[in-house]
Amino acid sequence: MKRSDEAFWWALFSAGGVMAALFVPAFVLVTGFLLPAGGDGAVAAERTTQFAAAVGWWPVKLALLGVLALSFVHCGHRIRHTLMDLGLRRYSGLLKVPCYGGALAATVWAALLLWRV
Amino acid sequence: MSTELTMTLEVFRYHPETDHEPRFQAYEVPYDEDWVVLDALNWIKDHVDGSLTHRWSCRMGVCGSCGMMVNGDPKLTCAVFLKDYYPRPIKVEPLVNFPVERDLVVSLDGFMDKLEAVKPYIIRDDVNDTSGGEYLQSPAELAQYKQYSMCINCMLCYAACPVAGHEDEFLGPAALALGHRYNKDSRDQGQAERLDVMLVGEAIWGCTFVGECTVVCPKHVDPAGAIQQAKAVGAQEFFKRFVAPKGAGV
Repeated sequence: MKRSDEAFWWALFSAGGVMAALFVPAFVLVTGFLLPAGGDGAVAAERTTQFAAAVGWWPVKLALLGVLALSFVHCGHRIRHTLMDLGLRRYSGLLKVPCYGGALAATVWAALLLWRV
Repeated sequence: MSTELTMTLEVFRYHPETDHEPRFQAYEVPYDEDWVVLDALNWIKDHVDGSLTHRWSCRMGVCGSCGMMVNGDPKLTCAVFLKDYYPRPIKVEPLVNFPVERDLVVSLDGFMDKLEAVKPYIIRDDVNDTSGGEYLQSPAELAQYKQYSMCINCMLCYAACPVAGHEDEFLGPAALALGHRYNKDSRDQGQAERLDVMLVGEAIWGCTFVGECTVVCPKHVDPAGAIQQAKAVGAQEFFKRFVAPKGAGV
């Protein structure tokens, strides 16, 4: 019998798990708490401007897109397997369309947003 | 005798030749703090009801025969003490996720088929050639697989696994961990053969890393870890196809 292509999706899921667990919380910490914290509003605004300038640099954009894309696939894969566990196992192939398609759509959206920064 | 402490065992009973459906039967058993649940079951069989059917052999957590659900948890009944439940009643049921043959005895057929499928033995091309002497192995090479070799096939991990319960294609924790055990053995040459079985359909990919198999294992094997490592090997093999196609001689 032919080996399953699930290895491909699992590899992306696995990589996305590292991104979602390691980098996403770090981004939330930096952008949500550390940038606005301390000093008066002007200092925070200055820091935010500097951060936005860094995000404007294309290697940073690319790295951010990588983190986001893999996190989206991770999310889509987990949702697909949850739906399979909830009784949709026989549609495991069909579920790839909305789950990984959704991850792709979210990645394109993120790319457009990053393009505009 | 009247002053002797007792406790209640509620035991799952089902004799397919006479019973339309399973029932629970309550037994009062002597309470002894040195007794395990298996001692109480054996006491029932010897003194109260000889028709009670259960599997057991070594009484010391080695043979893996006496696995049952004890108050809903998969346990080796030779390793759970009455004193941990006293004075509350103890409910004893056959392992879930397996067809019941009679009372506390489940059918092993499906499990044995899955175990056999992963070829849990050393595969060599030169199996009959002993001219080179024994196959030497360093302590570091032994450490690669040793913990996975401690499995006693008690099947508690199958009773704990939600995927094993509803996905027939899934080979399950013990079989996958044993397949991985031989793949990691430096003396073995059978990884490709085993991966052809393990990487098909839902055989390994059905696992969603719930991790209960590792929690319930009485021998401290980590099947959940073994499965994740085997998945990583599967992913590497998948991408290797594009780097070194078959027949490229790489």
